[in-house]
Amino acid sequence: MVEKYSFGIDPIPHHAWNKDRQQIAVTPNNQEIRIYQLDKSANDWTLLDTLNKHDLRVTGIDWAPRTNRIVTCSEDRDAYVWKQGPDKKWTPTQVLLRINRAATCVKWSPDENKFAAGSGARIISVCYFEQANDWWVSKHIKKPIKSTVNSIDWHPNNVLLAAGCADFKVKIFSGFIKEIEDNFPATAWGNKGSTLGNLLAEFTNSPYIGGWIHCVSFSADGNRLCWVAHDSSISVADVSHGSPIVFKLRTDTLPFLSCVWVNGTGIVAAGHGCCPMLYAVDVNNQIRFVCKLDRSQKKEGSGLSAMRKFQSLDRQAKVENDTLLETIHQNSIRSIRTYSNVNGTATKLSTSGLDGQLVIWDLKVRHRLVRITS
Amino acid sequence: MSSTLKPYLTAVRHTLFAAMCVDNFSSQVIERHNKPEVEVRASKELLLTPVIISRNEKEKVLIEASVNSIRISIAIKQADEIEKILCHKFMRFMMMRAENFIILRRTAMPGYDISFLITNFHTEQMYKHKLVEFVLHFMEEIDKEISEMKLAVNARARICSEEFLKRF
Amino acid sequence: MILLEINNQIVEDTLTVKFKNALAGHKLEVTDVRIADFDGALFHISSPKNDKSKIIISICLKFYKDLQQHGSDQLLKDIYGSFITDTEDGYSVSLQVDLEKIPKNWEELVKKIGLLKRNCFAAVFNKYFDFQERGEEGHQRAVINYRNDETMYVEAKSDRVTVVFSTIFKEEDDIIIGKVFMQEFKEGRRASQTAPQVLFTHKDPPLELLNTNARIGDNIGYITFILFPRHTNRVARDNTINLIHTFRNYLHYHIKCSKVYIHSRMRAKTSEFLKVLNRARPESKNTEKKTITGRTFIRRE
Repeated sequence: MVEKYSFGIDPIPHHAWNKDRQQIAVTPNNQEIRIYQLDKSANDWTLLDTLNKHDLRVTGIDWAPRTNRIVTCSEDRDAYVWKQGPDKKWTPTQVLLRINRAATCVKWSPDENKFAAGSGARIISVCYFEQANDWWVSKHIKKPIKSTVNSIDWHPNNVLLAAGCADFKVKIFSGFIKEIEDNFPATAWGNKGSTLGNLLAEFTNSPYIGGWIHCVSFSADGNRLCWVAHDSSISVADVSHGSPIVFKLRTDTLPFLSCVWVNGTGIVAAGHGCCPMLYAVDVNNQIRFVCKLDRSQKKEGSGLSAMRKFQSLDRQAKVENDTLLETIHQNSIRSIRTYSNVNGTATKLSTSGLDGQLVIWDLKVRHRLVRITS
Repeated sequence: MSSTLKPYLTAVRHTLFAAMCVDNFSSQVIERHNKPEVEVRASKELLLTPVIISRNEKEKVLIEASVNSIRISIAIKQADEIEKILCHKFMRFMMMRAENFIILRRTAMPGYDISFLITNFHTEQMYKHKLVEFVLHFMEEIDKEISEMKLAVNARARICSEEFLKRF
Repeated sequence: MILLEINNQIVEDTLTVKFKNALAGHKLEVTDVRIADFDGALFHISSPKNDKSKIIISICLKFYKDLQQHGSDQLLKDIYGSFITDTEDGYSVSLQVDLEKIPKNWEELVKKIGLLKRNCFAAVFNKYFDFQERGEEGHQRAVINYRNDETMYVEAKSDRVTVVFSTIFKEEDDIIIGKVFMQEFKEGRRASQTAPQVLFTHKDPPLELLNTNARIGDNIGYITFILFPRHTNRVARDNTINLIHTFRNYLHYHIKCSKVYIHSRMRAKTSEFLKVLNRARPESKNTEKKTITGRTFIRRE
């Protein structure tokens, strides 16, 4: 079962759901953020609000489910935290990230008391709200980041922060803010995390050929970190048995841009290949390909009307309409989100991409994964 | 299709598909800039190793990829003087219309006859697989077109000389 | 239209209209027409001193002095006889016709006047063809600077007459296209056994012109026609002159046509490429359009 929605022909590089999955925040690849509500009866989206405060392209959106706040960041080096007023209108609060290059990604921490934003300034800004001054304070993780931070993800313990960088490295930092947090919880990734910016682990994507890291993702128990890189690989670092062990699978598809854990062992990755793929870490800790989520067959083009035929002859010098790829997405998939989750297993995922489509995939992961992981 | 053309085009097609995996990427060097890295070449880590695919000494394609843009330069077969001027004229004609072609670079890279510059903004607005097809279509057609034009000039010359001389 | 016309159509048309009007008894009007032709020729058709009943047809050829040395005056007198009149200022030759005394065979006369330029050229060929016919050798070769920087040489031997054209290719591309044409002319004799032999040299003049002041340069080509008695005898002579004196223009005309053709092909191909590129553009669905009355029109898929 696949639900497809189209938001026109502009790309939607980022999307984020609210708690009950009735509303979605998307950016049409410019400085705007649009909030839509699903109108079930018409199977269409109603535009509720347009958040227009950034002056350059929006590079990240995250919607905190419990506190119902949206954080956005942009190439204009700013972040805004949006709160919904009683009149249902969203009002922004500017957060000075104190960076001098574009912000690239933003994520709320699991407890929603702080957020982190990566940037091209080789800085991760960790921001928290200072009640006394009534503003957002940003603290920097600088060293030893040597390149643009492409992606970040919070560990479920609300403290550790993973970053994937354009210099082919994945790093795990402490995102501990002593002003709002009491003590550093014990973690399998190490214990020297009581200072913001401490480096707990660092992995190189490949000793030989590099590959920009496009996305990092912690598993639900926090013991595994998955990342995808431009050398079409998918890697997992695992600390469940002590010191970290890294497993890497080189795939024969085009590079992935985004990855997400669907349960303790399954990972869905998608990117330039336009088709989300399910991978799993098997009992021997090897990453194995399970299946493609997109099982579409080559579509028969809808019958050509005479008008269509001559229009296509005139504009494109061809008769048959063979523009479509076999997959549902017609261009790179840029982001994946968990749509629904039952007992720690994702049952539905949503993907959005450069083709302006939003697709909700029904996973039925459990029985697919049984074979591999047990 | 001759026996060497097919593998040549297949190699170009696969390389282009891999190279065209570009993504929006803001400049690491200049604030609020977002420029094709393959042209500005400011950060080494953002450039991929260039690939040259050659069919023979004269026909080759240079594909330079980077994080947000790729540059494709094509050297077209020119067997003799007339093919050389036809190719030169044709490429100049197209490059003067580069604004319509959007992915066409206004000047070719040295050593090549024509260059395309495809950025993430192009792949966001257009289907990537169709862009690849366009480049391949161009490579196939341009050889055909130049040899047809050459034949046309030769045919005209022959008819002219025959018509003139048979009047004597 | 593969071959160029050797007559001047505009001169003929202008005169035909004048004659017809005069014959039909219409009121005569003042005439003043200037017409340009190949090789820098300029025609002027006018009424002398506003005498509407007369028409003067003058031609100006910059190299007419060269032609005069080879007896063109005499030849024109033979052809046009009493129509030749005092030469108009700034022109080379003038003819005068009287609209009140139009001869019966006026159509023939119009044709003859249309060939004025060709007949100016003819003298020099006739002269050297005669030399050949009589087997006279050793006459100095004729040198006609028929255009700026472009020259025609005519030389007679007892068994042949050699005509050499030097021509300038203004653009580099013209040289290359010109070479293709000349190659075909060289080989063209295969198609026609009666054709003269054609030789082509690029940059340097042919051997006949060694040690003359013939120009040397990258953009210069020399074309040599070797005419045999079968071309120069009295029967074939007129035809040979007709063809050969237009040769330079014929060549350049077709080089230009080739370039035009190439250009139109490039234009067509470029627009086809654009269409192929358009295939990559997603078509937006549900485009809203306004009809002429201002109502919104939504296209359904």
